[in-house]
Amino acid sequence: MSAPGVAPVEVDEPVDDIELDADRPWVVLVWNDPINLMPYVTFVFQKLFGYSKEKATRLMLDVHHKGRAVVSSGTREKAELDVFRLHEHGLWATMQQDD
Amino acid sequence: MFFTRKRNGTIVVRLPDELRQLVATLVGDLRELLLSDDDQRLRRLYPTAYPDDEARDAEYQQLMHGDLIESRLAGLDVIESSLDAVELTPEELTAWMQATNSLRLVLGTQLDVSENDTPLPATHPDAAAYRLYELLGMLLSEMVEVLGSTLPPSTS
Repeated sequence: MSAPGVAPVEVDEPVDDIELDADRPWVVLVWNDPINLMPYVTFVFQKLFGYSKEKATRLMLDVHHKGRAVVSSGTREKAELDVFRLHEHGLWATMQQDD
Repeated sequence: MFFTRKRNGTIVVRLPDELRQLVATLVGDLRELLLSDDDQRLRRLYPTAYPDDEARDAEYQQLMHGDLIESRLAGLDVIESSLDAVELTPEELTAWMQATNSLRLVLGTQLDVSENDTPLPATHPDAAAYRLYELLGMLLSEMVEVLGSTLPPSTS
């Protein structure tokens, strides 16, 4: 995703017990379905994630033409909340750990 | 246009009485269906979250399924209390939009629609349901267009 990232400044926090697996971010996918209207899907991406109309439209077209698109990513908790909000809006969303 | 946005942000509703009556009926039907929790008819409203992990999905469903039902029922409450309104707030119209989309999902699942469907002949047993599906799509498109103009500027 091309969300403007802010580089972490605090890097001196002691981190112990790193689970490599837990560090891999989760991605939220939205899958194509024949029922949801294209403008509705675009609108939901704008509303839930604050994306511009252009970016939301691009993602919607990816869903439509490629069958799916990654619409957000982050910790498991964040991904789960995003999936919930997408389900609340009737979109076919799933989550998985990024490869 | 059934829904138009005023400069102050409120939305003017110009729905003929028979359409308001239809919305009332459909909202009642949807409430009944949501409460019945009929897995087959409602399956598009509660998708799998973890397709690769059955245990985690079961946990997700256990945590979230009730919240999804509650949130949908709360949306229906909003519609029922604003059924006769001539003006709606964007939040109220959002509840209308989400319920309209849920109804399309239920009806579309029932009709097993695909992306390249052609209109059914009038004599087909599903013709009336298909017309309702199309009508809901038309109403939904209008709601999306109006609500799209109320979105705050994008953050990315």
